[in-house]
Amino acid sequence: MAVRRALIMHPKDNVATTVEEIQPGDQVQVSSGGEVRTLTAVEAIPFGFKIALQEIPQGAIIMKYGETIGKAGRLIARGALVHVHNLEGTRARGDLEGGEKR
Amino acid sequence: MSFFGYIRPDGSVGTRNYVLVIPQGLIAKSICDFVAGTRTILTVDHGSGRTANDRERIARVLIGLGRNPNVASVIIHAASPGVGYPELKAERLADEIAASGKRVEVIDPVKDGGVYEAIAKGIQLARMMVYEASKLRRVETGDEHLCLGVKCGYSDTTSGIAGNPAVGYLFDKIVKAGGTAFFGETTEIIGAEHALAKRAVTPDVAKAILNAVAHREALAKSTGLDIRTINPIPANIKGGLSSLEEKSLGAIHKAGTSPIQEVLQYAEKPKNKGLFFVDNWMGSYSIFAGYAAAGSNLVMFQLGGGGLAGRNLLEGSPSIVSPFLWLTSNPKTYAMARDNIDFYSGTVIEGREDPEQVGERLYRTVIDIASGTLSRSETLTYVEPIDLYLEEPRF
Repeated sequence: MAVRRALIMHPKDNVATTVEEIQPGDQVQVSSGGEVRTLTAVEAIPFGFKIALQEIPQGAIIMKYGETIGKAGRLIARGALVHVHNLEGTRARGDLEGGEKR
Repeated sequence: MSFFGYIRPDGSVGTRNYVLVIPQGLIAKSICDFVAGTRTILTVDHGSGRTANDRERIARVLIGLGRNPNVASVIIHAASPGVGYPELKAERLADEIAASGKRVEVIDPVKDGGVYEAIAKGIQLARMMVYEASKLRRVETGDEHLCLGVKCGYSDTTSGIAGNPAVGYLFDKIVKAGGTAFFGETTEIIGAEHALAKRAVTPDVAKAILNAVAHREALAKSTGLDIRTINPIPANIKGGLSSLEEKSLGAIHKAGTSPIQEVLQYAEKPKNKGLFFVDNWMGSYSIFAGYAAAGSNLVMFQLGGGGLAGRNLLEGSPSIVSPFLWLTSNPKTYAMARDNIDFYSGTVIEGREDPEQVGERLYRTVIDIASGTLSRSETLTYVEPIDLYLEEPRF
């Protein structure tokens, strides 16, 4: 299987940003500072999208840059694509009653 | 290092040397079509039917453009529909621009015998003003005279990783040298406002940042819509951004790490130097005109572009008197639109350069263009119209 790269922006993050096109089954090498770990992509992840570094339960906070970028709308598997289908933004949401503040 | 610029009577330094003809309209456009080296503002926002606050905002744009260091001299015509309002009287605009020591001429169809005659007089004046301006030579000057403005757009995840951090490095360097830098787009700091507020020079400035965001977020909620149907825009989502917070947290990297001096309104010129947050919106037809009116002598659009396709010719954004640069860190965007791109920072993503090397390279590009090298968009004659950022109802 091919080895592909993804970047972690902050040690607290539970997602990484892919810097190559990733196919299901690819080994994804994730580097943060000097530390490198590898996980298996469970689905295709395009260049510049996000891969889950661990299983993320529904409702759990999704972190990038060490900050909240939203909540998991459903259970997200390790190695899965994280995007609008499973990540819910929590700010400026007029569709949620009274909105939601983090 | 330093750049070569045009020294103005008030001590400010231009990166360009135009004759500006304002306000918008037939007279201004006709003069500019006829005379090389001129600039005007193309917009339908002339002030008629607008509130006093919005009329003052239009006046601020026009006066600010006239005072911009890239302008050598100014012609004002008295035939705009808004000219009857006290804020927009030709004499008022002329007086406030002339206070900077520049030559300002007023033409008036009533006094000059009609619109044809005013155009003819304007053409004659503009030719000689452009000729006089051309006698001025660039001289070497310090980076404290740079005033930069940035917007990030068609953002994707490369923007937060490499493109915006490169701009942040540049901003830190210019601010450290005593220069000025503007960033803004209030909707696009929602989710990242606390990190910015911590960098405010006083608690009042921190409060102003948080208030600007609270106001904008309340407006967003009042729509009853999922903000993701508006912003992030479809091209952002296609480029990998999943929420407004994610976009914001990447966007603020373009502001570097310097202290934030103040929250400025649209087209408001700061009283001192340093890094400023401008409470504006993301529209590129609005934002760059506002930066130029606030004194920017060079502006840049940090482009993601992952969600764009087939756009190998980019139309640029209207900055009227200030050179406009396209930057990108997305290798696909760079491959697609290479002719248009002034600077590529995707080398960081490709592992070929570190952020400091890229930042230094961007700085040298900015110095070159500030010194007279054309930006790619300056090689086109096409100019987009301006959508002035006015916030109050019209009547």
